[in-house]
Amino acid sequence: MVAVNKKYEVIDPVTGELDRRIFVDPDIYAEEQEKVFGRAWLMIGHESLVAKPNDFFHTYMGEEPVILTRDGKGELHAFLNMCRHRGNRVVRTDRGNAANFACAYHGWTFSNDGSLEYVPGEEEAYYGGLDRGSLGLIEARLETYAGIVFACWDEDAPTLSEYLGDARWCLDVNFNRLDNGTEAIGPIKWIEPLNWKAAVDNCSDNYHVPTTHLSTIIVQGRHLGIPRLTHEQQFSSTNRHMFVNGHSLTMRFLERDDQARQTHGINPQNREMFEDYYRGTLDEAERRLGALRARRLQLGNHSLFPNGVLGLRLAHPRGPMETEFWHFVLYEKDMPKELKTALRRGSANYNGVTGVFEQDDMDNWRGVTASGLSRVARKYPQDLSMGVGRAGRHPDLPGTVSERYTSESNQRNFYLRWQQFMNAESWADIPLEPRTMEYEGTATIRG
Amino acid sequence: MTASDRRATQSQQQLWHELMQFYIAEAWMLDERRFREWLDLFTDDVLYFMPRRLNVHRHELHRELSEEGDLAIFEDDKTYLTMRVDRLETGMAWAEDPPSRTRHLVGNLVVEPVSDEVVKAKTAFILYRSHHETDENIFAGSREDVLRRTDEGWKIARRTIVLDSNVILAKNLSVFF
Repeated sequence: MVAVNKKYEVIDPVTGELDRRIFVDPDIYAEEQEKVFGRAWLMIGHESLVAKPNDFFHTYMGEEPVILTRDGKGELHAFLNMCRHRGNRVVRTDRGNAANFACAYHGWTFSNDGSLEYVPGEEEAYYGGLDRGSLGLIEARLETYAGIVFACWDEDAPTLSEYLGDARWCLDVNFNRLDNGTEAIGPIKWIEPLNWKAAVDNCSDNYHVPTTHLSTIIVQGRHLGIPRLTHEQQFSSTNRHMFVNGHSLTMRFLERDDQARQTHGINPQNREMFEDYYRGTLDEAERRLGALRARRLQLGNHSLFPNGVLGLRLAHPRGPMETEFWHFVLYEKDMPKELKTALRRGSANYNGVTGVFEQDDMDNWRGVTASGLSRVARKYPQDLSMGVGRAGRHPDLPGTVSERYTSESNQRNFYLRWQQFMNAESWADIPLEPRTMEYEGTATIRG
Repeated sequence: MTASDRRATQSQQQLWHELMQFYIAEAWMLDERRFREWLDLFTDDVLYFMPRRLNVHRHELHRELSEEGDLAIFEDDKTYLTMRVDRLETGMAWAEDPPSRTRHLVGNLVVEPVSDEVVKAKTAFILYRSHHETDENIFAGSREDVLRRTDEGWKIARRTIVLDSNVILAKNLSVFF
């Protein structure tokens, strides 16, 4: 429960009891905008969305509108979308190509490197006294991981590399396999009536799949030949959930070392094309990631703290009970066109606002969120007790590893991480796990 | 107006009337939840396509719709579309169980014959959706169909749906357009 000295104790790691108010309370929401979204490294886009000089892409850091630009020299920047004069937005479109951004209110004009270039009437109305040099766009720190762009407001935050820590060891398996890297398309944007945390914690929830998604599992079996999940696979597989620095990760051990990694677009007609492609890239992937990661591991469901959801997908908070979802699709650039088409179609059919999987999730997360409004329900905390005491260190995998694939270990740890951010005075109070994994191969954080 | 002009006009009016009836019948199928029948209106090689609608400046309106090959909101072939309908019949497609209450209003039909067997037909729609107790959405947009004349009547070989929205103000798009 929330104590009087504002020290949050919302999750009991021993009983798994979770306070429902964190999903609905406006004061908690306002505080987390500051203490979580104001401090963390946030995914905001992908380099390929601003591929050419002067390209820009409009995005968000939590609720903050942000312009991702590539300036004339090719450098990336993340700026608060706010004119330094009165606060109007200087960009009103989704994306484009522009060397500068003119505010539509009084015409203050900023270069895409952030500097204030032009002020109407500077000599006459301001008597030449305006300090233009100190009135550039507000810039966030920006770093990239394998082409994915992250930004952070907090000067005291660690580097992105430290922030991701050993999560990158797992993420590399999907996002950092090949020299030519990835490209992003999208996003599809829509508003869900639920708290962002309910959507993020679901990324660790394997338990819901056979119930929430049964209708889709049945028809995918019928039409795409995808085998039904067995009780054994669901509850006793050797696959594992890991938790590192707030990031939730699932690793699946592959049966064959050349098994196709992406499954969303796979149907009987294109299975061979997928497998051929992956077979053809294995040597390169092994040089970059080592044999274990290139051949034997698949990244499953995952989330990046705080609001990255299954790959390059974002859950932007829009109030305690509203979340704006962004669904991108990532391709490896080397993929043949037909494979990209299959992945793109498969991905939009599977997830996103029309996705036959994702559309069934919404009302569950909304129900979880709304239970926090009930004065009666608040007396009865959520039960996240599954697998308490059944997670720890693993000889081959990083972080805190659950004994079973179906476990609420990661959800408990997600809320504990949230609580660490909420109770911290500064980044000095937020612990980071040291890197322990051997990063075999030539892949770096930059790609 | 010559006799042949009159005949041409009559045949255009006939075609317009025929297609308007087709779209009215389709709207009732959707609102009366006869989805299996609705699915039969599409050819086996159909593409059911809804591009993303971007927020761009007037001088960039040529980029307002995401192109084919970019990420689309719907890009279903017949198999994917069939899966959506089959799913509803399992009794466990929770987004639509209990089902939405919908009303499709379709009008502003413009017909452009391409050949004896193929026409392009553009319509505007308002789709009202009510779900659970109080959820409500209104979707407005246009549809551009390529229709093929077959022994079983007109079939939709391609449908492009353009919503008049940028960020979609709905928890999901589990209804059909």
